Amino acid sequence: MWKAVKDREAGFLLPSSFATRIRSHRVASLDLSNHKEIVSPHNGAINSLQVDLTEERYLLSGSSDGSAAVYDIQHATDYERGLIAKHKSLFVVDKQHNHGHRYAISTAVWYPVDTGLFITGSFDHYIKVWDTNTTQVVMDFKMPGKVYRTAMSSIATTHMLIAAGSTDVQVRLCDIASGAFTHTLSGHRDGVMSLEWSTSSEWILVTGGCDGAIRFWDIRRAGCFRVLDQARSQLGRRPLAESTSKKGSVTGQSSSAKSMVSQRRIPLGNETKQLRALHKSQHLPRGPVVQRLHPGLSSTHNRAVAHYGAVTGLRATGDGMYLLSSGSDSRLRLWDVDSGYNTLVNFEAMRLQPTKALQLAVTQDSSLVFVPCLSTVKAYDVQSGMTFRTFCGHYELVNCCCLSSQDQELYTGSNDRQILVWSPASPVIAEVEEGKGGWVSVADQDNWSD
Amino acid sequence: MGLGCGWNFETHPRGKRIRKRKGRRNDEEKEEVKGKKKKKNKRKKGREKKRKGRKEKKEKKKEEKERKAMGDVSDRIGRPTDNGQVIPFDNKGQLKEAFNIRLEELQVLDIKFLYGCAKPTIVVLYQDNKDARHVKTYEVTLKDKDFVEGPWAQNNLDNGAGLLIPVPMPLGGVIIIGEETIVYCSATAFKAIPIRPSIIRAYGRVDVDGSRYLLSDNAGLLHLLVIAHERERVTGLKIEHLGETSVASTISYLDNAVVYVGSSYGDSQLIKLNLQPDAKGSYVEVLERYVNLGPIVDFCVVDLERQGQGQVVTCSGAYKDGSLRVVRNGIGINEQASVELQGIKGLWSLRSSTNDPYDTFLVVSFISETRILAMNMDDELEETEIEGFYAQAQTLFCHNAVHDQLVQVTANSVRLVSSTSRDLLDQWKAPSGFSVNVATANASQALKPDPNLLEVGLKPVRKLAESRDISSSIIILYALNTGTETSSRVLLATGGGHLVYIEIGNGKLVEAKHIQLEYEISCLDINPIGENSHYSSLAAVGMWTDISVRIFSLPSLELLTKENLGGEIIPRSVLLCTFEGVSYLLCALGDGHLFNFLLNTTFLIILLSVSNVGIVVRHSSLAIAKEGELSIGAIDDIQKLHIRTIPLGEHARRICHQEQSRTFAICSLKNCQTSTEETEMHFVRLLDDQSFEFISTYPLDTYEYGCSIISCSFSDDNNVYYCVGTAYVLPEENEPSKGRILVFLVEDGKLQLIAEKETKGAVYSLNAFNGKLLAAINQKIQLYKWMLRDDGSRELQSECGHHGHILALYVQTRGDFIIVGDLMKSISLLLYKHEEGAIEELARDYNANWMTAVEILDDDMYLGAENNFNLFTVRKNSDAATDEERGRLEVVGEYHLGEFVNRFRHGSLVMRLPDSEAGHIPTVIFGTVNGVIGIVASLPHDQYVFLEKLQSNLVKVIKGVGGLSHEQWRSFNNEKKTVDARNFLDGDLIESFLDLSRNRIDEISKAMGVPVEELCKRVEELTRLH
Repeated sequence: MWKAVKDREAGFLLPSSFATRIRSHRVASLDLSNHKEIVSPHNGAINSLQVDLTEERYLLSGSSDGSAAVYDIQHATDYERGLIAKHKSLFVVDKQHNHGHRYAISTAVWYPVDTGLFITGSFDHYIKVWDTNTTQVVMDFKMPGKVYRTAMSSIATTHMLIAAGSTDVQVRLCDIASGAFTHTLSGHRDGVMSLEWSTSSEWILVTGGCDGAIRFWDIRRAGCFRVLDQARSQLGRRPLAESTSKKGSVTGQSSSAKSMVSQRRIPLGNETKQLRALHKSQHLPRGPVVQRLHPGLSSTHNRAVAHYGAVTGLRATGDGMYLLSSGSDSRLRLWDVDSGYNTLVNFEAMRLQPTKALQLAVTQDSSLVFVPCLSTVKAYDVQSGMTFRTFCGHYELVNCCCLSSQDQELYTGSNDRQILVWSPASPVIAEVEEGKGGWVSVADQDNWSD
Repeated sequence: MGLGCGWNFETHPRGKRIRKRKGRRNDEEKEEVKGKKKKKNKRKKGREKKRKGRKEKKEKKKEEKERKAMGDVSDRIGRPTDNGQVIPFDNKGQLKEAFNIRLEELQVLDIKFLYGCAKPTIVVLYQDNKDARHVKTYEVTLKDKDFVEGPWAQNNLDNGAGLLIPVPMPLGGVIIIGEETIVYCSATAFKAIPIRPSIIRAYGRVDVDGSRYLLSDNAGLLHLLVIAHERERVTGLKIEHLGETSVASTISYLDNAVVYVGSSYGDSQLIKLNLQPDAKGSYVEVLERYVNLGPIVDFCVVDLERQGQGQVVTCSGAYKDGSLRVVRNGIGINEQASVELQGIKGLWSLRSSTNDPYDTFLVVSFISETRILAMNMDDELEETEIEGFYAQAQTLFCHNAVHDQLVQVTANSVRLVSSTSRDLLDQWKAPSGFSVNVATANASQALKPDPNLLEVGLKPVRKLAESRDISSSIIILYALNTGTETSSRVLLATGGGHLVYIEIGNGKLVEAKHIQLEYEISCLDINPIGENSHYSSLAAVGMWTDISVRIFSLPSLELLTKENLGGEIIPRSVLLCTFEGVSYLLCALGDGHLFNFLLNTTFLIILLSVSNVGIVVRHSSLAIAKEGELSIGAIDDIQKLHIRTIPLGEHARRICHQEQSRTFAICSLKNCQTSTEETEMHFVRLLDDQSFEFISTYPLDTYEYGCSIISCSFSDDNNVYYCVGTAYVLPEENEPSKGRILVFLVEDGKLQLIAEKETKGAVYSLNAFNGKLLAAINQKIQLYKWMLRDDGSRELQSECGHHGHILALYVQTRGDFIIVGDLMKSISLLLYKHEEGAIEELARDYNANWMTAVEILDDDMYLGAENNFNLFTVRKNSDAATDEERGRLEVVGEYHLGEFVNRFRHGSLVMRLPDSEAGHIPTVIFGTVNGVIGIVASLPHDQYVFLEKLQSNLVKVIKGVGGLSHEQWRSFNNEKKTVDARNFLDGDLIESFLDLSRNRIDEISKAMGVPVEELCKRVEELTRLH
C-alpha cells in the first residue's frame, strides 16, 4: 500500500488502478476480524445479510426466528477493553412487534435508493416493507407460498419493483409505488429459490428455480427470453483461454508458424458452420410449434437446466458480464450473460447446502466469489475456478455472505446464529496487543474454532 | 581607451549574438507564455464557492477547431481498462455507434491496430494467469461485431514486454518492446535483439516507412532502433544509443532531425539529433526547454524576500529530472540579449528623429565616459558615436528635445545636438566651481503616446500599489513617461543648491531662471502633469539635509509646497505622474521606501523595496543595467508566473521551510544505477533558502524512506526543530511495520540529530499540535510529547492515540481539532481533549472518498481532494439536533477539478493589502500531479451569489470545445455517483469574461442587468486574488 501511495503521488500509478490494486490487496488479506464484532440479537439461523447500497454503513440481517436487525458497521456502539469494536444492533423487529413476521425471515434487503426503507420476506407468505426510522410496516404483500428471496434492482431509475421468489412456481413483481403485483412471471416448474436483477440493465431479471432452470426475463416483454443450459458452452465458437494457450504453444514451437496457422483456421471455420447447422437441425422438428407461439413464450417450453436439482444462489458480477449460480448439485457455474453460454470454469470441489437459498458475494472487480460451503465460506477465483481461500469460523452451516465493497469487509451469517466479520489484516492492532501482553490470549480466545 | 574590455558580445550565457530577433523570437515567446499559463491555471472557490479549469484555455481556440463528429463512449458494462470500445468511422468521418467486443484475454497490456491488413486487425499483448506474456492478433468483423482469430500469434515473450509498435507497410508487423529484448514479429518474420535492461515507455517513429524508431527509457536515455530490411523483408534489428534527454512520455519526430520530447517528469524538450557525436559521445543537442512543474508531489509557500508576497517552492519532476521550482507572481522581463558591462551609471534611449517610432540610440554612461550603442541595419547592436556628445565624461542626463535635437547634460555643460547631423548646436556651461549634479528635462508631448504602450503602462501602475515590486513598476512608469516625448526645457541643479531652468529653442539654449536653495538638491523632476500635458507647470525637487520634497512652479521657480519626509534617508528619485486622471508625486528613498503623494495632500505611504539601477525604454523592449550586465528584454504579459528551476538530480518528495534558520529541508530519493541492479538511496537534505545549495545531508538507512517533514517547536523549548517521519520499506513486507520519527536541530548550518523515536509503521504525516507532535502512523493517529530526561537530553514520548482508520494518510490540525484524510474513508474530525489526554472522534463523512489531500478552511469547513479528480467540502454540524447528525460531516460543496491534487497549503501568490477587499478572502493553494498550481478562495456569500449568476450567463455564451458542456465536465463524478457541481465556481471561466468581445460583454451585462463597468470591476477584483 505504501508503495502504491507513493507511486500515485508521483503520477506513476493511475488513481483508478491505485484503487483497484488496494482493493484487491485488501480482499486478498481478509481474515476473521480481530477488532470488530457484530453482536447478533438473533435466536435463529441468519438467512440474509445485506449492507445498504448508499453509504455502505448499515447492515441488515434476517433470521429464522422471525427477526430482522440493523447494525451500524461504521460506528461502533462500544469497545471491549478499548480495542474490539462491538457493533450492537440499532434496532430489532421480531415476533413481538405488532406487524412482525410469524415465521422465519428468509430474506431482508434494503431499498436501494436510501436507507429509509427495507424489505423482508418470510415463510409466513408475507413480504413486508418497513420504514427504517419508525420501524413500522408501511406495506405488505401476501404471496401464494413461503417466500425464499426478494430482490430490488440497484440501478433502476424508472421502477420500484420487488421481485419475489417463493414456493410457488410464479415469480411476482411487487410495486412499492402502487402496493400491487405488477407482473407474474410464469415459466418455472417449481418454486423459485434465487433471484437477481441484472447489473447492466434495469429491466432484466434472472431467476433460478428449484427445477434447476435459470431464466432471464425482460420485464417489458412477455415471457422469459433466455433459459441457461449447462450443456451449451462456447466451445467451438471461440476457443477457451486454456485451449488457446495449448494451441498457442504449438504455434510458438513450430518455426514455420504460418502454415500451421492456416491449417488450423480451416477446420475452425468448418466447426463453426457445423455447429450452426446442428442448432438448426435441433430446432427444425419443432419448427411449426415455434412459429405458432409468441417468441417470448417459446422458451416456456424450453426445459434446459442449469443445475441438476435446485438453483440455490445467483449472483451477477458488478460489471454485468457474468452470472454465477450455485445449485443443490454442489456446483458453482459461471455464465456469460451476453451469450448465455456456460463458461465451463471448473470450480474446485465443494459441498453446498442443497435445500436452502444461499447468498453469494462477488468482489467489485469480479475477481473473487465467496460461496457458503457448509460451515465454511470459500473464496474462488472467478476466472480460473481455483480455491483462493477458505474461511473457517462458523460452527454450523453458513447461509449467507455479504461483502462491503467500500471497506472490503465480509460478513457471514450462519445457523449458529452468529454474524462474523472478516476484515483485511491490520498489523498495527496486532502489535498493540503484543505490546500490552495479556490481551493477546483474550483476543485469540474468540468463540470460533480456526 | 579601454573600450574593448567590456564589450564581449560572445559571452552571453546562451552564446547568442545580440540581436533584436524580432520575428522568430516573438513567436516562441507566445508559446512559452501559453505553456506557463496552463501551468498557472488557477482556481478558486468559496465558503459558498466558485471554481473552474483548464478547459476554457482551449475554448479560446474554439474558432479554429470545428467539431466533425462526436460520440459518447461512457459505458458501464465491463471493466474500463480491460474492455475498449470499437468505434467505426464511416467514409465521411462520421462516427457510428460504438459497440463492445468481448476479448478472451483477461490481462491485456497493450492493443494496437496493424497496418496493411484487409480487415481491421488488432494485435493484443496480454498476460496469462501464469504471468507469461504473449501476443495474438484478431480481425474485427464489423458485421458480426466480433473478433475472428487473426493471421498470427507469438507466445512466451519477454516477461517485461509492455509496448507494441505497429510497423507501417511495406514491412508490416509489430515491434514488441520488452525489458531485455526487442522483438520484431509478423506473419512471416521473427527477429529479436537483446538490449541493456531498461523500461521503455515512449517511442516515436522517424521514417514514414517505419524503418527507424526513437525509444526512450526511464533513465531518459534515447535510443535509435533500426529495422534492417531488404526488398521488404526484415533482415534484422539494430539499436544505437543517442544520448540523454528528459525522461520521455512521448516522442514526436518533427523534421530535419528535430525531435520533440514530451515529458511528464521533467521539462519537455525540443532536441536536434546531430550526425556527429559531441565530446561526450552524445548525438543529442537540446534546442529548447518547455517548463513543466509536474508532478508536484509537495510544495510549501514561503515569503523569502519578506515582502508579504508568497512564493511557492515545489518538489517537481521525478527520477533524474527531480527539481525544486520557485514559482513567483510578478511582472517579468524576457531577456532578449545581454552584454557584460561593468560600472554602468546611467542608461538613456534616444530617437534619431522626433517622428521616428523607435528609439535608435542607447546612451550608456560610465563614471568617466559615455558610449553610444545603436541598432544597425541587421538589427544588431553596435557601438557608434554622436559627434556632438561629450564622450569623456559621465552623462547625467540626455534626452530627445524639440526640433529634432538631442540634449546631453554632463557635470560641466548642457549640450544641444542635432539628431540628424549629430553636430553640436549650442552649449550651456555651468558656472565655474559649480558642477551639475542632477538634471531632468520634460516632456512636451510632441508625439502622441502609443495606445498600446499606455495600456502596458497603466495596468502595472495599478499593480504598483499591490505588488510592491518596485523594480518592475518603475520600469513601466518610465515606459509611460519617457518613452515617447521630447524635451523643450531642462531643469538642472548644480552644487551649492543652485537650481537652473533652461528652455530649449531651435538650436539654442536659454537660461530662463536661476535660484539658490539652502541645501543640496538630490533629485528633480519636471514631468508634465494635469491637463496641459505639453507644458509642465510644476517641478519636484528632493533635498539633502532636511530630507524634504518641494514643489516649485515653472517657469518662475517659486516654492509652492514643501513636504518633510522625516528620517535620515535622502530621496533618490522623484516623479510627477498621472494615473487614471489623478496626479501623484512619487518619491523613492535610498533605502528602498517609496512615498506616494497625492498632489496637494499626502495620503498614502507604502513601504517598498528598490533593487535595480536605471531603465530605458525602446518601445516595449527594455534595457536594464544590472550589476555588471546590460540586458535587453521585452516586458512580459503583465501578470506572469516566474519559475526558477533548481535541478537536484534526485526526486524530492517532501519539503518544508524553516524561517528561523532560513533553510529548506527536503526528503529526497536518488536512483543509483550500478551495473547489475538499481538501488534507491534516501536522504534528508538541508538547503539554504537563498542559494538553494545543499548545506547538510543526513542519509537515511537502507530501505528507509522519508515520508513527511515539518518544522516545529515544542512547549518548554525555544528551539525550532525539523521533524522527519520515515518508513522502513522492506522488500518482503507488503506494508511497512516500522518507521522512525527523527528530530533535527539546525546548528551552524548542519543537521544535528537530537532525538529519534521508533514507530510501528510508516509515518505518513506529521503536524505540530499544541506544542506537541501529532503523527499519522499507518492506521493510527499518535500524539507525542517532548520530554526532558534526567540527563538533560530530550525525547519523544507517546501520549495518546486514536485508531479506526484504514490508512491515515493526510492530517491537518487547527487548535484542538484534527482532521484526517483516510486512504478510502473520506474525512473524519477528531478532537484532542486536554483533561482526559485523549483523542476522540467527533464526526466523519460517511461517503467513500479515496482522499488525496485535505485542508482546513476555517473552524467548520474542511476541504478535501479525492482519487477521481474531484474536490469537495464538508461542514461540521455542531449545532445539529441529534447525535447522529452531529456525528456526520455534511457535504456542502462538490466539484470536478480534473486534476489529481497532491497537496493543499494556505497562502497566496499575490501581495495582500490590509485595506483591499481581496485581502480578507482566504485562499488555499494546491499543486497537482500534472504540474498545475491553482487557488481555492473562500468567497463571501454575496460575491458568490453574484459570480454564480455571472458564471451561469457565461456558460451560455462561451461554448466548450467540441460542444462539451461545462456543467457536465464540472460535475462531481466518482465510481458510484455523478452529481452536479455545487458551491464551487470556476474562476478561469469567470475571468475569461474579460477576454470576451465587446458585444458579448454587453450581451452578458444585459442578461445580468448589471452595467459593464461594474461587471468588469467585480471580475478584476477576482483576478487580483492570484
